[in-house]
Amino acid sequence: MTFTQKSGVGRRTILGALAAGTMLSPFGIGAAHAADISGELVMINWLAGAQGEMMEALQADFVEKNPDITFRNIVPTSSGDTRGGIRTVLLGGEQADLLINTWPAFRQELLDAGMILPVDEAWEENNWGDLLADSWKDLSSIDGVNYGVTYTFGDRSGIWYKTDSMEKAGITPPETWDDFIAGFDKLNAAGITPVSIPAKIWAHAEWFKSTLLRVAGADFMSKLARHEVPWTSPEVVTTFEKLAEMLNANCCTDPNTMLASIWRDSADTTLLTGESGYMLIGMWLNTRAKQEYGFEPGKDFDIFQYPAMGMGYDNQSMVDAKEFNVLSSVKNVDAANAFMGYMLTPDAAKIMADFGLASPSSAVDPAIYDPVVQRAVNEVLKAEKVHFVLGDLLPGDLVHEYRIQIQKFLQDPSDETIAAAVQKIEDVANDSY
Amino acid sequence: MTDTTTSSVDGPKGPPIGALRLPRQLSQSRAAYILLAPLLIFFGISVVYPVVETIRLSFFEIKGLAPPKAVGLGNYLKLFYDENFMRALRVTFYWSFSATFFSVIIGWALAMACALKPRETMVFRVLIFAAYGVSEAVVGFIWLGIYRPDYGLLNGILGGMGLEHLQQAWLGNPATALTAVIVAYVWTQVGLPLMMCFASIQSIPRTYFEAAYIDGAKPMSMMRHIVMPLSLPGVRVAIFINLLQSLKAFDLIYMLTGGGPVRTTETVGFFMFRESMLNFKLGYGAASTVVLLVAVLIVSIPLIAQRTRAVK
Repeated sequence: MTFTQKSGVGRRTILGALAAGTMLSPFGIGAAHAADISGELVMINWLAGAQGEMMEALQADFVEKNPDITFRNIVPTSSGDTRGGIRTVLLGGEQADLLINTWPAFRQELLDAGMILPVDEAWEENNWGDLLADSWKDLSSIDGVNYGVTYTFGDRSGIWYKTDSMEKAGITPPETWDDFIAGFDKLNAAGITPVSIPAKIWAHAEWFKSTLLRVAGADFMSKLARHEVPWTSPEVVTTFEKLAEMLNANCCTDPNTMLASIWRDSADTTLLTGESGYMLIGMWLNTRAKQEYGFEPGKDFDIFQYPAMGMGYDNQSMVDAKEFNVLSSVKNVDAANAFMGYMLTPDAAKIMADFGLASPSSAVDPAIYDPVVQRAVNEVLKAEKVHFVLGDLLPGDLVHEYRIQIQKFLQDPSDETIAAAVQKIEDVANDSY
Repeated sequence: MTDTTTSSVDGPKGPPIGALRLPRQLSQSRAAYILLAPLLIFFGISVVYPVVETIRLSFFEIKGLAPPKAVGLGNYLKLFYDENFMRALRVTFYWSFSATFFSVIIGWALAMACALKPRETMVFRVLIFAAYGVSEAVVGFIWLGIYRPDYGLLNGILGGMGLEHLQQAWLGNPATALTAVIVAYVWTQVGLPLMMCFASIQSIPRTYFEAAYIDGAKPMSMMRHIVMPLSLPGVRVAIFINLLQSLKAFDLIYMLTGGGPVRTTETVGFFMFRESMLNFKLGYGAASTVVLLVAVLIVSIPLIAQRTRAVK
């Protein structure tokens, strides 16, 4: 597996670490646990819903193991992109020890503002390298210095479906783009809208990102994220054309309904009611399906990887990840290190697995995961290259613009709209970097 | 001409009044300032300082957590070349004037209707006014349910009436989204003009109606020639308040559309939020705030001046 945002690291790195996982015991973490930690651990914690409950459960388990610790969560007001709320909290002078971060571009911003500290020393002292593959370290590093400890990751190239819907339409999860498109007729005939694209805010861009990965590959995506190639590149245009192919094959409801829907609406119609066939979203849907719908992963619902397009980039995946950053306002360093170490233990992974999420720690036996997470983890590990989710790498105003332009494209997937959309995104990109 | 200020009951025995008056005035002023001080301090902290700080920020380029960079009038110049801001301005004018117009007209009409049977319509008035007091976030949830494309109440009613061809995603259609949000907003706002106009109508002396009745005026004629003109002070205040409220409207737009689809419901207030809080360009967002502040002042000053003259 290679994170192309950073120096390349072969997939063997992670595979090796995970394979050794069941044999390793977290001695380094144990050492951290053994330290006499006490006092208050303050965390900027913006996780909500089932993921918020998961973090509560993790903190409770940590407190049970370390009774002298108390947690105080600073919850930023969340409004779409939580970074705004986090910035407000930080600029407002809140003093915290740890920050949950999922945006690599934000890590750089925090570093530039002198708000985060390196974790290299703690990494060495606690032997976290035995538990986290180098690729994770690379992902959280800037100019060779590590600023984060990744505690969970998810497959963002997985397409979700309800098993009943597939049976009803008489199809199996498609492996190729052609099969994917061909299945639309059967799904429509069964009264199922083939694809649900929630385009009210941001989730419609998932389809653009995964298609771009298949059309142009992770290296191109990295260059696009750094604006080393223009948004008017033929690869971006082809990506829109592929999506137009999908729309023209009656994949979806009318554009206005898409523009009125958020991802939870799509989750409901795809997994709960079965009115839609497929949806593309991160692994938190697994959490929702398990916790809120009461569904059994692998039996009631499942995922398959984004269909192969035969353009040379079919064995690539997109992931997201969450990490802890140690803030420069940290007061309780020992507790912060101990908690980050705890997050890599099998106990923490078990809690995450119960909520449907995966740990990157090699100390975790993959058998603890449900079938959907196992499939997602395997797909990521199998991937020749892995790219971090594009939207989290772009400047805020550019992200907004490209979501708006994809909304326009969904309304009218014509060549003219595509040409105007890529030009507009490029114009904003020129101003953003 | 008699100078009353220099007359003295004590005659030449006492000191001249002018000599006494100055210290007393100073003392009164001092007392007044001392009494006003807590309020002035509070006003300074809660109003003056944020306004001054926002104006100051508007002259800086601030991206994310990066240190500010002075750009002079750069943000303002950029604003007026920003097609998204200009669109937001147009949306704001359309939004504010239509929302105010319909809120006040409906509120005024309801007030006149309620004035015919004040006692019997009390519960109705309270219910209408209650919507004004409900949080816009809650109102947003209510109207999201009404406008839902699949199980929404509005589409359900249209379906029930055999008007399936009119069913649609009201908040997802760029052609209907702004109107749909305005309708929801008017629903929340109509209570205030209703109460203000009703109070105005109630304050009209009964003798006017009695005189008109004696002169043979019909109810509609009394409505047109007495109620409507004499309730205008209440209407003016309602216009003023509703216009100011609508200029800074944000919550309901955020809840219902998030400024979309394709920015069709993005007002200056929402633009300011997006630039400041989502894109975290605080300087640019502050510049748009100052423009909004100027718009609010343009609306407020003439009305406040007019009300002040009326009081004098």
